Amino acid sequence: MNYLLQQIINSLGFGSIVALLAAGYTMTFGLIGLVNFAHGEVFMVGAFTAYFILTILKLPFWLAILMALVGSIIIGLLVERLAFKPVRGSGMITLFIIGLGVSQILRNSTVMLFDARLKGFTVSGFLKGVYMLGEVIIFKKTLFIFLTVLAICIILVYLIKNTKVGIAMRSISYDTQMAQSLGMNTERVIIITFIISSALAGFAAVSWGYIYGSVHAAMGVHAVVNAFVASVIGGVGNVLGAVVAGYIIAIGGNLFIAFLPPDLVGLRPLFVWIVFFIILIFKPSGLFRANIK
Amino acid sequence: MNKVPLLKLNNVLAGYGKMNVVNNISIRVNQGEIVTLLGSNGVGKTSTLRTIIAQTDLKKGEIKYKDIDITHFPTYKIAGLGIGYCPEGRAIFGNLTTKENLQAGAYLLKSRQKFKINLDRVYSLFPILKERHSQIAESLSGGEQEMLVIGRSLMNSPSLLLLDEPSLGLAPKLVELIGKTLREINKEGVSILLIEQNAKLALEISNYGYLMRKGSIVLEGTAKELVVDDRVKEIYLGII
Repeated sequence: MNYLLQQIINSLGFGSIVALLAAGYTMTFGLIGLVNFAHGEVFMVGAFTAYFILTILKLPFWLAILMALVGSIIIGLLVERLAFKPVRGSGMITLFIIGLGVSQILRNSTVMLFDARLKGFTVSGFLKGVYMLGEVIIFKKTLFIFLTVLAICIILVYLIKNTKVGIAMRSISYDTQMAQSLGMNTERVIIITFIISSALAGFAAVSWGYIYGSVHAAMGVHAVVNAFVASVIGGVGNVLGAVVAGYIIAIGGNLFIAFLPPDLVGLRPLFVWIVFFIILIFKPSGLFRANIK
Repeated sequence: MNKVPLLKLNNVLAGYGKMNVVNNISIRVNQGEIVTLLGSNGVGKTSTLRTIIAQTDLKKGEIKYKDIDITHFPTYKIAGLGIGYCPEGRAIFGNLTTKENLQAGAYLLKSRQKFKINLDRVYSLFPILKERHSQIAESLSGGEQEMLVIGRSLMNSPSLLLLDEPSLGLAPKLVELIGKTLREINKEGVSILLIEQNAKLALEISNYGYLMRKGSIVLEGTAKELVVDDRVKEIYLGII
C-alpha cells in the first residue's frame, strides 16, 4: 500500500508539468485547431530563462518564475504571429506541419547557441528537504509545485467557465464565424489564449527544473507528447479534462513501470501511446466533453 | 411610418473566392420595418445576409448602416454597431449551456444591469429557455435551439436583426410562435431583414419584400403587392 502511495506521490511533480502543458495545449487546439508541437519549445525557452536567472545570475526564485513566464510568453506570441497567423484558416495539417517545423528550428537553435547537455538548476533553500507522512516521503518542492498548480488550475477553470473571455474562447472553438457575428474579436481572443497558454508552459518549465534539477534543449519533446495525448484524452478544448488527464497519464506511467519487471523499465514511453490508442478506439471524443463541433 | 433608411446595399457584388453569388443587389431596410428576401433555394439569399456582416468576399458596391459605410468593416465591428445575425440551421454553441449561449450573445454589453434586463426579456419571450438554462445547448430540441438562436441575437440589444429561415423544419405551432415573437420584437423598435421559405408567414409580418432569382433582385414591392404577384406564387408553388 505504501509502495503504491509513494509511486502516486512521486508522479505528482511530473503530473503537474503535464497538466499545465496540456491545459495550455488544449486551449489553442480547441480554439484554432492547432496541434502545436512548438509548445514544447515555448516550455523549453521558459526553462532556459529561469536557468539563467537562478544558476548563472544567482537571483531569487520568484524572479526566475516571473522571467520564465515572460520568456515563454514572448516566444509563444512570436511563434503565433510569425508562423501560425499567416496561415490562419488553412487547416489542421498545415498548422501541424508548421508547428513541427518551428519546434525543430527552436530546439536546434538552442543546441547551436548553447549545447545539448544538461544544465544544472539551482533549487532554492526553502524548497529543499522532505516531509514524512508515516513511511511515505514527499519532497517539499513537489508539494509546493503540486499545490501551486492546483491553485492555478482552479483559477483557470473558473476563468474559462465564468468570464467573458472564457465564454468567448469556448464560443470561438465551436463556431468561429458565429462568434464573430456576435461581436467577438477573434484575433484578440487568440492572442489572449496564447499568452495564457505560454505562461502556463513557463511555470511548468520552472517546475521541471526544480523537480529534475536540470534542463536541456530537448526537454520539450517528451513533455509535449504527453501534453498532446492528455489534451485528446481530456476532450479537445476542455481545460479541466486536460488537467485531470495530465495527472492520470503521469501517475499511470509511473505505476506502469513500478509494477513491471525491472528490465522492462525502458518501455515507459510506451504507456502514453497505449492509453492514447485505447482512447482513440473506444472513446475518440475524449473522456470529457470536447469544446469543438 | 417614417422612412429613415437603416441599412442600404448599393449595387453589391459578392461571392466566395472567384465565384459570384450576389450580383449587383440593392436593398434597403427602413427604421422599424420588417423586410423579406424571397426566392427559391440557392439564389443567394443567405449569401446576401452574410455579405452584410462581411462573411463573403465583397467585390463591388457599398453597404451603409445608419449612414456609416460598413463595406470594409470586419464582422465583429459590424456586430458592435448593432446588427444581430441569426444564421439558418440552429447555429447554437453546442458546447455551452443555454445560459452561456445567451451570455455569449451579450458579449458586447458593458453593464451587468443591461444584461439582466435583456436576459429577463429573452426569458419572457421564450420561457422554455429559462427552464433549460443550465442544460447543454446541444441537448435542446430543434425548436428550442431556434429560440435560443433568436434569443441570443437579441442579447446585444441590436437595432437590426438579420434572420435566416427561422421557421425551417419547425412544427406549425412553433412557426406561429416565432412569427408572433418577431412581430413583438419589431414593435419594440428592432428592424428585421428576414429570409423565409414560408412565404405566407413572411409576407404576413413584413412591410416590404424583395424577390431574388439567380443572385439578382427581380421584383420588389410592399408585402401587399407581393402577395398577389404571380411570380411570387410561381416560386412557392415550385413551378420555376
